[in-house]
Amino acid sequence: MDNLTDRVTRFIYLEADLMDEHRFDEWLACWSDPLLYWVPCNTEDTDPSRQVSLIYDDRTSLENRIARLQSPSAHSQTPRSRLRRVLSNIVINPQETGEIEVSSNFILAESRHHRKNIFAGKNLHTLIEKDNKLLITQKKVLLIDNDDYINNLSFIV
Amino acid sequence: MDPINPQPPLLNPDELVTEDRVHGAIYTSDEIFELEMERIFHGYWMYLGHHSEVPNPGDYQVRQIGRQSVIMVRGEDGQVRALMNRCRHRGMAVCEAEEGNTKFFRCWYHGWVFATDGKLLDVPKENGYGEGFNKEELGLTEAPWSTDYRGFHFVSLADPGVDFDDYLGSAKQYIDPFLDASPLGEIDVLAGVHRTKYYGNWKFVGMDGYHPHFTHKSVLDMWNREGGENLGDTHRGDPFADDSGNLTRDMGNGHVMLDFFPGREQHYDTYLEGLLSKPGGAEYLAAMEKGHGKEGAKRQLIWAGDPHTGIYPNMQLINIQIRIIRPISANETEVLMFPTLLKGVPEEINATRLRHHESFYGPAGAGAPDDAELFERNQTGLQNNVNPWLLLGRGLDRQYRDENGDLVGLVSDEVTQRGQLQAWVKLMSRR
Repeated sequence: MDNLTDRVTRFIYLEADLMDEHRFDEWLACWSDPLLYWVPCNTEDTDPSRQVSLIYDDRTSLENRIARLQSPSAHSQTPRSRLRRVLSNIVINPQETGEIEVSSNFILAESRHHRKNIFAGKNLHTLIEKDNKLLITQKKVLLIDNDDYINNLSFIV
Repeated sequence: MDPINPQPPLLNPDELVTEDRVHGAIYTSDEIFELEMERIFHGYWMYLGHHSEVPNPGDYQVRQIGRQSVIMVRGEDGQVRALMNRCRHRGMAVCEAEEGNTKFFRCWYHGWVFATDGKLLDVPKENGYGEGFNKEELGLTEAPWSTDYRGFHFVSLADPGVDFDDYLGSAKQYIDPFLDASPLGEIDVLAGVHRTKYYGNWKFVGMDGYHPHFTHKSVLDMWNREGGENLGDTHRGDPFADDSGNLTRDMGNGHVMLDFFPGREQHYDTYLEGLLSKPGGAEYLAAMEKGHGKEGAKRQLIWAGDPHTGIYPNMQLINIQIRIIRPISANETEVLMFPTLLKGVPEEINATRLRHHESFYGPAGAGAPDDAELFERNQTGLQNNVNPWLLLGRGLDRQYRDENGDLVGLVSDEVTQRGQLQAWVKLMSRR
């Protein structure tokens, strides 16, 4: 495994752990500024200026999302979802611009209120390297059921 | 009044709702749910969809009305119809996709083909049915009551007992601001949909101005953070305070609203300043003044396109969304949220409206999942039938009728719940 593959793989594994364990400040520290965190709705190819997304966060919106989740009155995460996700099919594509595009598949199991849910999809990360540190500048999450009725997606996917 | 304690089955609706109380069984009983399907969802005016969802001939959307599948489709003649999704031969659903464009509906069981206006076009091996077989009598059945107001299409699958104009009544005037946030008075319902569900009764999706300080505390705290695009943008101060000027209204027939006009009017200057500082803001204001006149534009901007009105029983116009409430069982409800695009406005205005919507609504928003969570706790609590009566008397001694005949209270008053439940009793008592 070459150095880049190794570092990128470790990085997105770390990110998965931070999300699963609700380590919000550490997760936020994985992101660049500005950023785009995008979970499309209904289908995968949408125009966000004309079509609704599940999540379309810039830096401020994402900070607001995290601040809310850290407040004691985020009822849909009280108690928090217990989460574990598995990442696979990791493909790393370094770009000439210096950005690194990474695609991966995931299966995410959630347990909450004695109900179990399975979410699955594809992550498209765009990473940059700054001061020898990898940062997420864009993340697009393509859920296979983004056109279905979802009860509660208030944890981080 | 001493609480009476009727035991299930509780099939006498007017004993379950008094002026200021409601029996918890109306939220939990399967028998009552079955009656609601028959007497309300399959026998009264229901919102089906908006005509802009099917702009071209052959465009269709399939929606559930109660348990029945209905196709809203624009025919070759340009007319929008509501067709029952059921082949006249053996009853198959003839449209399997939820939306799309088609030249005709083909039943893939035995190959019967229907036009987009419902006419039966082709029956394979038709001569086998013998003489007297008449294709003209075997088109897809149209919903027996079917009409629209400004593109909002409503159907009733059995005699609703009231004609459409009387059904909407004075609530009609509160549908208008939802459309007139566009300089052209037109919307496009083409921005996709948030599909959400919760494990609780459909009647919880109310118009409740009392809950935000608690249910949405985390969001109201967030609105006070600097920057970011969210719904707080269209409110200033605390819109849910009893001295905010904001009101609850009961317009009759179960149509109710949270009227944020008075509060927004007080903060109009700040709102306008914010709007003008944003991309597309000045252009939007100019277009609104051209479309509605200077005073009219101001009035519509105060509304912010948000009548916050529930058209009973299955439709709500909240912020930028058309919401459809679809009961699955006494304990499960699906909610469809359709954010809308304004016609004739700069692209940035619609993009900002979508970001506002996403900040609060949908399964990953900051508000809607907390509502769902609280509705589920509500359903859990209501399973307790010891001392089953709930209180709805808030504001009963201070409500009044305004000049239009609306019953009006403070924003946190239970005027809205009382209005919905009085309509519920009326509909449920029909035979």
